[in-house]
Amino acid sequence: MTELLQLEFMRIALVIAVLIGLTAPAVGTFIVQRRLALLGDGIGHIALTGIGLGLLTGTSPVLGALVVSALGAVVIEVLRARSRTGGDVALAILFYGGLAGGVLLTNMQGGGTSMQSYLFGSISSVTVSDLYVIAALAAAVLVIVLLFGRELFLLCQDEEVARASGLPTRFLSLLIAITAAVTVVIAMRAIGLLLVSALMIVPVAAAQQLTRGFRATMLLAMVIGVLSAVSGLVGSFEYDLTPGPSIVMVTLAVFVLAVVGGALTRRRAHRAPAEKVEVEAAQA
Amino acid sequence: MTTGDPFTMTGGRVRLEGREVLRGIDLRVATGDMLAVLGPNGSGKSTLIRALLGLVPLAGGRTEIYGVRPARFRDWHRVGYVPQRLTVGGGVPATVREVVASGRVARQSRWRPSSRADRAWVDRALAAVDLTDRARDPAQELSGGQQQRVLIARALAGEPDVLVMDEPTAGVDTGNQETLAATLAGLVEDGRTVVLVAHELGPLEPLITRSVVLEHGRVVHEGTPPPPEGECAKPGHDHVHPHEAADPPAPLRSWSIGA
Repeated sequence: MTELLQLEFMRIALVIAVLIGLTAPAVGTFIVQRRLALLGDGIGHIALTGIGLGLLTGTSPVLGALVVSALGAVVIEVLRARSRTGGDVALAILFYGGLAGGVLLTNMQGGGTSMQSYLFGSISSVTVSDLYVIAALAAAVLVIVLLFGRELFLLCQDEEVARASGLPTRFLSLLIAITAAVTVVIAMRAIGLLLVSALMIVPVAAAQQLTRGFRATMLLAMVIGVLSAVSGLVGSFEYDLTPGPSIVMVTLAVFVLAVVGGALTRRRAHRAPAEKVEVEAAQA
Repeated sequence: MTTGDPFTMTGGRVRLEGREVLRGIDLRVATGDMLAVLGPNGSGKSTLIRALLGLVPLAGGRTEIYGVRPARFRDWHRVGYVPQRLTVGGGVPATVREVVASGRVARQSRWRPSSRADRAWVDRALAAVDLTDRARDPAQELSGGQQQRVLIARALAGEPDVLVMDEPTAGVDTGNQETLAATLAGLVEDGRTVVLVAHELGPLEPLITRSVVLEHGRVVHEGTPPPPEGECAKPGHDHVHPHEAADPPAPLRSWSIGA
């Protein structure tokens, strides 16, 4: 481990792994709460077009991804709010358009190989200036979660009640969508756009096997996120594997363990209340 | 602070997906009313209360909350809404306490953490629906009737002046209905206003001061509920029902067994 820390790219990569491990599950908890688990995936596809635009125009691909994925997130949110039935088809069309557009634009620029690094991540190529951008974006995401957490909880739990509580639901809906887009951009260099969503969703899915409350789920998901990102990164370096997919595989392994652990603890906990249900049934 | 009646609707029309759901409703809900909105399925009951809250737009007429149109209304902390839901909802587990505490949101500042007063009101709301000892359990693991009580507690936690409930008794067993009746009786004593949609009133019936009956999006009957008959009508009958007795009724006690 000390040997790893002597390498500058590895130090940067570890900081980024921690930032992703904290932010992606924090935002992901609200997204799962809202039953939009595939939102991050969709934003990831759309971000590709932004990268293509960034490469083609010679500006920053990260900036391109940030702008286009934020716009994409707004469009997804508008479609979600407007249409109840045709929403998912509209979303799918947007996803495929984003993916195809990104590949086309990148190939026009002749950057087929760099496309690969955005699709599946290349954490070791992140520079110090990239790190500053990512750290600032991660700080923004965490501040938003802290400041608006209470309102976002109610919004994601029951949007109609949130409106009847006087919350600015349209603003909050856009806020959560754009925050998800920013998170995708934070994680894309390390994990890759096609796998970004995994780190938003899988730690949350793992955590909720073991927790009873929302706050506890979010905190445990962040712990799982950081541990998976760091250990996946270190492991990929040790065994010469691709970092992004390694991180995701570690997260999935934690999920499997959590499912087993959760089932065992629940079986133990359910034995006592089972008698209570019988008492209620007998009295009803 | 705005004044006026909790709800006033004049000529309210609502169109949903091309179908006229409310066809000109005139309704005034005064402070202290315990109003039941009755009617068959599809008569527009839920739409009416959602329109009163501004959750569905009016195609015609106007509606006001405490004298202000919903779009310009700001005192949302005065309103508690219990939607018709089969479950508490949400894809992530949330404890009963977390769900109930979210009902305080209209009274809280974004810039401040929850205060002691916030926590005290959450405690009260939990006690009012008799779920204090389930506060740390995941709301999603409770029975349907208990989840309904969680949603009611969420509305109560905001200390509303008017409570709007959509089918609070649907799919809820008699024991839970009687707990609800006891809770509402307490609210009415405090001088609060209650508007509720119901299919059957059950144990809530003696509390209702006014009712409107909807059919095909129109009010077909309005007035006091039918007078009591039989035993209840006899002189000297002071209208004490089992659920209003000093001791909690038997079904209510059973919830605390083993919890």
